[in-house]
Amino acid sequence: MSKQLYVDPNVVRAPGKITFEDIPVNTYQKKVKDEIGNFTTEEFKNIYRDMLVLREFETMIQLIKTTSEYCGVPYTHPGPAHLGIGQEANAVGEAFCLDVEDMIFGSHRSHCDILAKGLSAIEKLDDEKLLDIMKSFLDGKTYAVAEKEPHETVKDLAINFLLYGAMAEIFARETGFNRGLGGSMHTFFTPFGIYPNNAIVGGSGTIAMGAALYKKINRKSGIVVANLGDGSLGRGPVLEALNMSAMGQINELWGDDMKGGLPLMFNIINNMYGMGGQTVGETMGYDAPARMGAGFTPSQMHAERVDGWNPLAVIDAYKRKKKLLQEGKGPCLLDVVTYRMSGHSPSDSSSYRTKEEIEAWWEQDPIVEYRKQLIEAGVATDEECDAIVKSVKDAILRNFKLAIDDEVSPRMNLDKNPDELADMMFTNGHVESFAPDVKPDVNMPMEECPRVQAIAKKERWGFDANGKPVSKNKVYQLRDGLFEAIIDRYYKDATLAGWGEDVRDWGGAFAVYRGLTEALPYHRLFNSPISESAIVGGAVGYAMAGGRALVELMYCDFLACAGDEVFNQMAKWQAMSADIIKMPVVLRVSVGSKYGAQHSQDWSALVTHIPGLKAAFPATPYDAKGLMAAALSGTDPVVFFESQRIYDVGEQFHEGGVPAEYYEIPFGKADIKRPGKDITILSFGAVLYRALKAADELKAKYGMEAEVIDARSLVPFDYETVLESVKKTGRLVIVTDACERGSFASEVARQITEMGFDYLDAAPTVVASRNWITPAHELEESFFPQPSWILDAIDAKIVPLPGHTRVTNQTLNEKLRNERRGV
Amino acid sequence: MATPVIMPRQGNTVESCIITKWNKQVGDQVAVGDILFAYETDKASFEEEAKVAGTMLQIFFAEGDDVPCLTNVCVIGNAGESFAEFAPAGAEPAPAPAEAAPVQAADAAPAEEIAETPVVMGSMKISPRARALAEKSGADLSKVTATGPDGRVIARDVQKLIDAGLLVTAAARGAYQGGLTGTGIGGRVSLNDLKAKPAEEAAATPAEAPAAAVELGAPVDDSYTEPMTNMRKVIAKAMMTSLSTMAQLTHNISYDATEVQNARKLFKEKGEKFGMERISINDIIMYVVARTLAMPEHKALNANLIDDGKTMKYFKGVHLGMAVDTDRGLMVPTIFNADKMTLKQLSAQAKKLAKECKEGKISPDYLKGASFTVSNIGSLGIESFTPVVNPPQTGILGVCAITDGVRVVNGEIQVYPKMTLSLSYDHRAMDGTPASKFLVDLKNNLEAFTLMLARG
Repeated sequence: MSKQLYVDPNVVRAPGKITFEDIPVNTYQKKVKDEIGNFTTEEFKNIYRDMLVLREFETMIQLIKTTSEYCGVPYTHPGPAHLGIGQEANAVGEAFCLDVEDMIFGSHRSHCDILAKGLSAIEKLDDEKLLDIMKSFLDGKTYAVAEKEPHETVKDLAINFLLYGAMAEIFARETGFNRGLGGSMHTFFTPFGIYPNNAIVGGSGTIAMGAALYKKINRKSGIVVANLGDGSLGRGPVLEALNMSAMGQINELWGDDMKGGLPLMFNIINNMYGMGGQTVGETMGYDAPARMGAGFTPSQMHAERVDGWNPLAVIDAYKRKKKLLQEGKGPCLLDVVTYRMSGHSPSDSSSYRTKEEIEAWWEQDPIVEYRKQLIEAGVATDEECDAIVKSVKDAILRNFKLAIDDEVSPRMNLDKNPDELADMMFTNGHVESFAPDVKPDVNMPMEECPRVQAIAKKERWGFDANGKPVSKNKVYQLRDGLFEAIIDRYYKDATLAGWGEDVRDWGGAFAVYRGLTEALPYHRLFNSPISESAIVGGAVGYAMAGGRALVELMYCDFLACAGDEVFNQMAKWQAMSADIIKMPVVLRVSVGSKYGAQHSQDWSALVTHIPGLKAAFPATPYDAKGLMAAALSGTDPVVFFESQRIYDVGEQFHEGGVPAEYYEIPFGKADIKRPGKDITILSFGAVLYRALKAADELKAKYGMEAEVIDARSLVPFDYETVLESVKKTGRLVIVTDACERGSFASEVARQITEMGFDYLDAAPTVVASRNWITPAHELEESFFPQPSWILDAIDAKIVPLPGHTRVTNQTLNEKLRNERRGV
Repeated sequence: MATPVIMPRQGNTVESCIITKWNKQVGDQVAVGDILFAYETDKASFEEEAKVAGTMLQIFFAEGDDVPCLTNVCVIGNAGESFAEFAPAGAEPAPAPAEAAPVQAADAAPAEEIAETPVVMGSMKISPRARALAEKSGADLSKVTATGPDGRVIARDVQKLIDAGLLVTAAARGAYQGGLTGTGIGGRVSLNDLKAKPAEEAAATPAEAPAAAVELGAPVDDSYTEPMTNMRKVIAKAMMTSLSTMAQLTHNISYDATEVQNARKLFKEKGEKFGMERISINDIIMYVVARTLAMPEHKALNANLIDDGKTMKYFKGVHLGMAVDTDRGLMVPTIFNADKMTLKQLSAQAKKLAKECKEGKISPDYLKGASFTVSNIGSLGIESFTPVVNPPQTGILGVCAITDGVRVVNGEIQVYPKMTLSLSYDHRAMDGTPASKFLVDLKNNLEAFTLMLARG
C-alpha cells in the first residue's frame, strides 16, 4: 500500500504480453587449459586440494557410519550425517568467489559448503587476523587443540583448526565450533562468513533473505548466499523468500541510496533428489529449477543453469552474478547441477535410483576429471597431485583422531553441569544499539513526529480529578505505550528495522505504528508481502547478521503460518550456536477477538512450550511500554502478545499515569494489580479486566477480597509472586482467553499445585475459553471467560459462595462428558 | 559450641507445653539468666532462663505452638555456627525419662521442620491447606464441620476448631481416634484422655487370685491405688460442682404406667409397618416430659440458672438432655426442640444420639445446650434415687423401674404397674410447690398418654 504507486486501470487493463528472456543452460564449457592465465597455479591446485578435502571429509564420515572405522581407527557416530559426495565442485567454485564478509547459509547437507567457505576465508585472511580469530574463538579451546598439530604456516594451522572444529562439532565435542550443541546439520563458523545451516529443508531461504536485508539496510558490503537443495523449492517459505527478496518497493519506494535489489543469491544445489523424491519428473513440474527465477522478477533473477561438476563453471557463474549483486541487480538464482553420489543419509539404500545411474555419474567424477585437466594443462604433475591427496588424507586422519579423543575433545557433562546448556537458552543481554557509531536514519526529529505531538496532549492517567474515566479520545492508550517504546528504540538503534503486513501507511492494522511512517524512512519500516514465514524468518536472518528486528503477525492465528520460523529458528539459534549468535528479535503478535475461529485465538501456550522464546502479554499501557522497552533493548527472541480488545485502554493502575520518560519493566515480574487476602486471581493479558470485575463482585456480594495478579510475562514466569500470594490466600483461580486444554494457565496451575500444595485450600482452577472454535462475535460471550464464570468456578471448586447462582455447568460429570468427547 | 534449649518437663504428667511468649529473637544476644521464653501447662505458667550465653541461632517453634516436652525449642551459640543438627526430628509420642538428653536428630538427616502428625480421620476430604493447618495446630478433625465444595474440609473449617479450642496435643495425635473431650491444656485432648479407656478396661479385669499362702483372716493391706481417668475426673468435678454450688433437693412421685405400657406393647407388636416398633418406655416418658415442660407454668424447670445465681435463662423450646451410659463414662447428648417432635421423631433422634455417643462420633455441638435432663436407670430395677442436677440446668428427672404397686380401689386391693419419678431441682430457681406441680402434671399426662399422643 502506497499512495506513490498509482494503480492505473488503463495500464493494467491494456492488452499485451509478458515476455521472457532465454534461460542459459550450461553455457560454460571450458577446461583448465582454457583458463590458463586467468588463475594462478596455486589457485588451480588449491581448487583440487579443496575438493579433495571435502571428498575425504565426507568419505571419513561415510566410513565411520557404515563400517564404524576410518583408516583402521574405530569410532561410532550415532548422530546424523547427510553427506555431499558429488557436490564438491559446487561448493569450492562458489567459495572461490566469496570474500570473508560474504555470508553463506546452508542446509542439512552443508559440510562441503562450510569447509569450502572456510578454506576460502583462510586463503583470503592475513595471518594476524586468522590468529586473532582462532585464539579468541570460544576462549581458544578449539585453537588449543589445532595449534599442537604439525604445521608450517598459519594457513596450515588454520586449515587444521577448520577441520578439527568442524569434526569436533559433528561429534558433539565441547571443542567444536558450537560446543557440540549444533552437530552435523548445523555446523557453522561466523568469523569465516559461514552462517547457520538449517536442518529444516528450506529453512535458510527466509533467513538468508533477512541477512541480505541487513546488509542492504545497514549499508554493509558483501553478498549473501542461500545454499538450498532443489527439493527445498517445494517449500512455501522458500517461495516466500524468493518473492519477498524481489519485492518491488526497494527500487520503487525506498530512498535513493537504498535502491537496488538485495545482494542475495539463491544457490540451488540441484542434486536431482529431495531425499528420495525426484524433483524433475516426479515431485515438481518446473523441469529445471532455473525456470523458477522467471516467475518472480522481470530480471528473471538472472537465473541460469550451471554445470556444478565443473568448479571452473561455477566460478565463472559466481564471478558474473556477484558483480550483478554488487551492482544492486539482485537477487539472483543459480541452478547448479550436481549429483549426490552418497545416499540421503548412510542408511539410504538408494532404492529410488538405479545402480547404472549412480555408476554413470561416478564415471564422470568431477575430482578425477579436474585432476586430469590439471595434468593435461601442465598445471600439476601426477606426483604433485598424489602428494596433495596424501597431505589431505593425513590431515583428515590426524584431525579425526583428535576429534574422537575423549581427553582432547571432551563432551559437555550436562548431568554434572546442566547450567552449561541452561545458561545458553537466553543471552539476557542489554544493548542500546547494535551500531553505536551509526546515527539512525530518521525523517525528522522525534518531537516533530505528528503522533508524538498528539500523544503529548493525551491524559497519561486513565481517570480525571473526580475519578471518572477519561474519554477514549483523550486518554493515553495501550497502543500509545507500545508506540513510545518502539519509536524510542528506532531513534537509538540504527540497526532496528521493522516489517510486517500493513505496518507502513496504514500504521499497522491496530494503529500502533501510526506516525512511524512519517518519522522513519522506508528501509527501516516497510510493508512485507503476506508472507508470515518470510516476515519472521527474515527477522531471524537480520538478527543473525547483526541487527535488531521488530516484526509482527497481524493475528496470533497466523503463528501457524510462521510455525517453523518461530519455533525452530527464532527459538533455537542462540543455544544451538552456543550463544555465538544473538537473536534480538521482537515478534509482535496481536491476539484477536470478534473475527471468529481463525482470527481470535490466544496461542501463547504454543510459544511458552518451545524452549528458547521469551514471551510477554501486557494488559496496561504502563506495562506495555515498559515491557516493549525491555524487549527492544534485550538480546533474546521475544514473542510479544498484544490483545486487540484493549489497545485503547487507559492506565488504571500505575499511579500518576504512564511516565513520559523511558523505562523498562523486566521480564519475569508479575504485578499485583489489586491486593487481597481471600483468594488469588491470576490473569494473562486482556482478561485482567474481567478478572477485576469478578473481584468487584466477590467483594460486593460475598465480602471476599481477591488478590488480582497480572502475569505480564509468561517466559520467564514469576512463580514467586503467585506462590507468595497463594501462601496467603490458599486459593487460586487462573484466567486466560486461551482455550483451556493445554493452556499456559493450565501449566501454571500444575506448577503451583506442586509448589504450593500444602498451602492450597483447593486445587488451582483454570477459567479459560471453551475447547471449541471461536464462534461469531455475537456468540463470543459463551466462548471467552466471563466474570460470572470466575465466580462459578470459585463457588463450585474452591469455596461455596452462599446464594450464588451458577450460569455454567461446573459439575464433574459435565467435565468428564466433555473430555470423553474431546471438547 | 551451639547448645540446644529443650522444653522442660514440669512434672511427670505433662506431655507438652505451649509457648506463650518469646523474649529473644533469632540473632539476639543472650546472657545467662535471661528469660528466653514463657510457657504454660494447663496448671501454671513458667519462664525458661538461659543457662548458656551466646547468640540466639534458631528458634524452632512460634508463640502458641504446643511443644512436646524435652523437644529442642531453640539453639544458642556463636553467630554462624551450624544448628541444623538440633532441629527437632519430630514430636515423640512416647514420653522420655525426665533425665534424658535432649532429643537430637541423626546428623546425616537434619530435619528442616518438625514433623507434625495430623489428627487424621479416615478418608475425610480435606484440602492440603486445611490439613497443614490442622497438623500445625493439632485441631481435632473428628469434630470438624466441612463447608468446602463437595463436603471438603477447607481451611476456615479447621480455623473454627482452633478458635473453639478443639485441639489435640502433639503427643496424642498419632493414636487419637477422635470423639474425646479434651482435658489437657486449654481443653486439648491429651495422651491421658486416650489412656482413660484402657485404664478403665484394666480396672474391670479381675486381678489374678492371690496365692493361698496367707492365712485367711489374718490382717492384710491389699489395697492399691489408680489415678482416675480424665473423663472420670471431669465427671467428678461436675458432680461436685453441682452439689456444692446448688440448693438441690429431690421430690418423688409415682404413677400408673398402664397406659404407657399398653402403648409400648402396641408399638412393639404392631408398630413395625410404621417404623415405630422400637419406641421405648423412655422415649414415651421423654415425649411427655418435653410437652409438660413446654407448659408456661413450668418454664423455671426448662431453664438454666446462670450468672452466679443471679439470672434465669429460659428456652423457647425444650432441649432435652438424655443421660447415656457409655464405655467412656456418662454422656448427655441433647435432643433439641424435643417438644416439637412427634414421638417417632423423638425416638429416632434419641437412638441416633445414643449410638453416636457410644461410638465416640458425637459432635460436641450435641453435648451442650440442654435445658433439662432425663436420666433413666429403671432398667436396672432402681425404684427411687436422687439424680444430680447438671449445672447450669435447674432440674433433672430420674426415671425408675416399673414395679407392681398396690392400691385400694372401691375398697378392693388392686395391683397396677407403678413407676416412680424423681425430680431433683435447684431450689434457688423455684420453690417446692411449682416443682411438685410439675411432677403432678407429668404424672397426669403420663397416665393419660393416649390423650397426650392424640393431642400431639
